Amino acid sequence: MNKRIDVHHVTRVEGHGNIVVEVENGELKNCRFEVVETPRFFEAMLRGRPYTEASHITSRICGICATGHATASLRASEKALGVELSEQSWLLRKLTFHGEILDSHILHVYMLVAPDFLGVGSVIPLVGSHPEVVLRALRMKKLAGDLCAMVTGRHTHPIAMVVGGFTHFPKMSELEAMRQRLIDLRKDVEATVELFSKLPWPEFERDTEYVSLSKPDEYAFIDGDIVTSDGVRVPPERYKEVTNEFMVPHSTAKFTRNKRESLMVGALARFNNNYDLLHPKAKEAAAALGMKPKVTNTFLNSAAQVVEIVHSTEDSIRIIEELLNRGVQPEEPAPVKHMPGEGVGVAEVPRGLLIHHYAIGEDGRITAANCIIPTNQNINNLEHDMRAWVPKVMHKPEPQMQLDLEMLVRAYDPCISCSVHVLKIQS
Amino acid sequence: MPQDPSPQEEQQHTLILGVGNTLYGDDGLGVRVAELLAQERLPAGVVVEEAGLNGVDLVIKMEGWQRVILIDAVQMGAKPGTWRRFKPEEVQLMAEEQGLSLHEGGIASALELAQALGKLPGEIVIYGVEPEVLEVREGLSSSVQAAIPELTQHILEEIWKRER
Repeated sequence: MNKRIDVHHVTRVEGHGNIVVEVENGELKNCRFEVVETPRFFEAMLRGRPYTEASHITSRICGICATGHATASLRASEKALGVELSEQSWLLRKLTFHGEILDSHILHVYMLVAPDFLGVGSVIPLVGSHPEVVLRALRMKKLAGDLCAMVTGRHTHPIAMVVGGFTHFPKMSELEAMRQRLIDLRKDVEATVELFSKLPWPEFERDTEYVSLSKPDEYAFIDGDIVTSDGVRVPPERYKEVTNEFMVPHSTAKFTRNKRESLMVGALARFNNNYDLLHPKAKEAAAALGMKPKVTNTFLNSAAQVVEIVHSTEDSIRIIEELLNRGVQPEEPAPVKHMPGEGVGVAEVPRGLLIHHYAIGEDGRITAANCIIPTNQNINNLEHDMRAWVPKVMHKPEPQMQLDLEMLVRAYDPCISCSVHVLKIQS
Repeated sequence: MPQDPSPQEEQQHTLILGVGNTLYGDDGLGVRVAELLAQERLPAGVVVEEAGLNGVDLVIKMEGWQRVILIDAVQMGAKPGTWRRFKPEEVQLMAEEQGLSLHEGGIASALELAQALGKLPGEIVIYGVEPEVLEVREGLSSSVQAAIPELTQHILEEIWKRER
């Protein structure tokens, strides 16, 4: 049995990636996920720029993770310069972060993943076969975008988030209206859980090292230690002990590994490492989806995103209620305490752990920068998953085998356009 | 600019959307034109925004407006800096024939999805500019830069003409 699957440019992922699989005489000979996009030199763009511009530049790396990049970037500068955020700023940062988690997860599970399971090739025929599903997704996504816009002034790029805090503040009337909209959203969230709990997830188990942030008192999205399911715990500054980046010839993205041959970041890693800190309703959703840690089926990364949709909805309501109780006061951004400095900012963006590492000189300009993006960390694990997955599906006709492989790629929610960076400036 | 890009008041009728990524060379031209238009005096009811590349977000942004004007880099095989005014059906047809390349997941797919959902605005105009450089770098190429003032002026005249 000889087969060759060569998917040039996998659809329904962000950016360009190819799958190459060769089976000879029933044996897997070759298996790669190629990232072919032009290398992007974002780190070089940051060098020499004032730290005040970094979050605005990096938020434009990706239209989907604009808030995530801005947050990690701001945290890097804030840690480098000894800036301490007010309680109000923390609430607003967390609130807009939830908005982006919702926005991105809804896009992924509904528009990119659901078509595979509902027997249609893309979201367009889904409009014909399941119009209510698409309309619900748009409704939910619109709310998520409005939530981000309410906090940061504009959805696509969070212009009002700056080092030390914010330059724009939501009005109490806006917070009250958003609270009501989120409460009304619950029925759409419940319908989402119901829809995805009925999907026939492929049976596939491959344990790996799950890597995420962790905080003692909350399901971590911003700051925290870097932890792994193999018992590693390091502060963000020691990220290189976990990421161990290396190059491979067939990809312009860097690969990572730690204790094992590969590691995985993303919603499933967060779920596995931080399950206890999920909102009770999110735990209920997990039960409905048949999930309890440790989940080792990669396809359920999308289900973990559904669990996080529940968590972020509920935690957004909680944060808004806290803001309504304490009131929102316009305040100046917290001051810079020292210059120069060096800092590492970490955030759990929709696709997983994002690391920004900056050195800032005496004149406030960035002298060195390093960004490690979730998809980079996952590509190595994806290839190992493919090697385990191909023998299970290689008896199938090639179109089905190809679809099974594409579904595995899509489970990672890869964002290839921002994962590719070969230039690294040593600090 | 309103926080919420959907029309909040009845008199808001026209949305101008500059589409693209300013870190990707000429891909950012739509955003640049939107920035310039935002500095001009605009008729009441006209709102200028910039948008990223996501087709679904474009559908959401366009919903509820009577009229949407999109500005984007369009590879149409012309001299860099050449701009053209398209109707949505031309864009969709050309995207199908592969003769014209828009952002993947960008305008063409947004129009297709909006149409399937019955959420197309009453009128859509697309201004496409032939890019010269599509790679990671800030700033526009000189050929595209040179075309921006004329295009901006043309769009301004078009929206003011409608007011009379």
